[in-house]
Amino acid sequence: MAVVIGDGLRALLQDKNTIKAIATVDREGRPHVVYKDSLHINNEGNLVFYELIESSQTNKNLVASIWFKQKVAVNILGNDKTSYQIKGTPYKAIIAGREFQKHYELVQEQLGIMDLSTVWVIEPEEVIEETFEKRRQEEEKAHPLLGHLDRWVVK
Amino acid sequence: MAVAEYDREWRKKELSLREVINKYPHISPFVIIKTDVQRRGVIYTDAALEKVDDSIHQTVHRNFIGEKVDKTPVSLLLRDGTSILSGGTYQGMPTKRDPFIVDVVDGKIVLTDENEVFEEVEYWEKPAFYDKFTSSGKPMWQVAWARPQRIDINPNQYCQFWETPGHGCKYCAIAAAYKSSDKEQFLKIEDIAETVAEALKEKGRYTNILLTGGTILDGKELLDDEVDYYIAILKRIGENFGGKKFPSQLIGTAFNEQQLRRLYEETGLMTYTADIEVLNEEKFNWICPGKAAKIGYREWKERLYKAVDIFGRGNVNTGLVVGTEMATPNGFETEEEGIEAILTEAEELCKHGVSTVGCVWTVAPGSIFFNQKTPSLEYYVRIAEGLDQLRRKYGFNIDMDNYRRCGNHPDTDLSRI
Repeated sequence: MAVVIGDGLRALLQDKNTIKAIATVDREGRPHVVYKDSLHINNEGNLVFYELIESSQTNKNLVASIWFKQKVAVNILGNDKTSYQIKGTPYKAIIAGREFQKHYELVQEQLGIMDLSTVWVIEPEEVIEETFEKRRQEEEKAHPLLGHLDRWVVK
Repeated sequence: MAVAEYDREWRKKELSLREVINKYPHISPFVIIKTDVQRRGVIYTDAALEKVDDSIHQTVHRNFIGEKVDKTPVSLLLRDGTSILSGGTYQGMPTKRDPFIVDVVDGKIVLTDENEVFEEVEYWEKPAFYDKFTSSGKPMWQVAWARPQRIDINPNQYCQFWETPGHGCKYCAIAAAYKSSDKEQFLKIEDIAETVAEALKEKGRYTNILLTGGTILDGKELLDDEVDYYIAILKRIGENFGGKKFPSQLIGTAFNEQQLRRLYEETGLMTYTADIEVLNEEKFNWICPGKAAKIGYREWKERLYKAVDIFGRGNVNTGLVVGTEMATPNGFETEEEGIEAILTEAEELCKHGVSTVGCVWTVAPGSIFFNQKTPSLEYYVRIAEGLDQLRRKYGFNIDMDNYRRCGNHPDTDLSRI
């Protein structure tokens, strides 16, 4: 079931300074993670990115994922250290047609004479905030017994 | 035109699509669906036809086995990028099995069978050149057509094997299609050149150019005229490209070494295919008697091996009309026999550097085999898996004939991962 990406996360995805990575697995469950600058959100609220290399492991893993309903995970890190993980399932591989050609020309405008293999569309299903400070506070509140004693000592 | 007789009991005689998908969970359900649709064809509901837009979708189509000018889509695309060659020219003709029904559910175009929705589909889009004309006045859609990412040109609309009684390939409708039309046999080279130049203006539309057509036996040596014709065409097409070579495939008759060298050295052609059609000598002799008489099964294979020396490993393959080896009365008696025979021979070809790709045999109205029944879906799935596994075992890529270039082969679809 798709989740709605909120405005804050949407803005972070659209920020060109945000670092974006995608993790996929192959048919045997072996993981693979790469950075994808092109990752963005479309008007329908789905994640979209450009796979430039036809024979890449990411491309193969995404094909396996759409075939066998395997999940993928995206992690993004903003300049202010805000971070989110988005899990989802590939919904569509756009490899031809006017929509593909529109993206193909955009890639060439942005990157020069560069080929485009596939425009991947991923339906987001789960959003988890991974911003470290927030996670640290959550951890302290939920698990007060964890952590080292020397940090408790009053100096 | 002679057409097939419907078999009312067909669903009781084989596993259903859903049963095959469940039985083979390690094989892409998209590819299994594609295979079954290619095996059975499609018809469209009114709602599905209302979604056809002439200005966007490819509806008219001419190739060497037929022509369609109605408003139904030429073919379909699944959301994973898999093409389904849904039998545009045979649309609506009687078949032994029920076709799939393309309908609209919740606003989406879908494939259905017995009221079950299997997958969303899109209609192939027509290329930008389609509505244009060459300077000789020829509509460009009659010169070339397009798969989602490939320009397809059929320069010769007839096949000389049919000039000798009993020599035509039994599954092929090229002669029936040609003789029931008023189209010219040979495309003019200038028309081809202009159409390709126009096609190439559309950015991101094509990754390959394919030439294929009927056999021309004439020449100082057998097939010389066919080679000369293709060389002339390829030279004109090559003028569009800066380097010596360009992504291209010729599916021709099995040429001899000298002819192959001429093709490779005199043109920009990068890959070569000579379809052996049936991977068993006895069945080949029966199903393709002209090819058997003029070249022969073993010589055909030898010519493929020689082509590897010239074009390079990974750049030569052969195509099969999978399922014809099961035709009656002289085909294999059981599907197990057929699968074993095909894959054993395919492995032999791999050892010599030749990859094998399989087409799903669609019984063609007007062919000698018009009333034959194709094998079960499970047969095709097992052959596709076997051919893909052989390519992995022998380390072949199938770039030359992959899902976005040809899109006709379930086995090359499986090779995507």
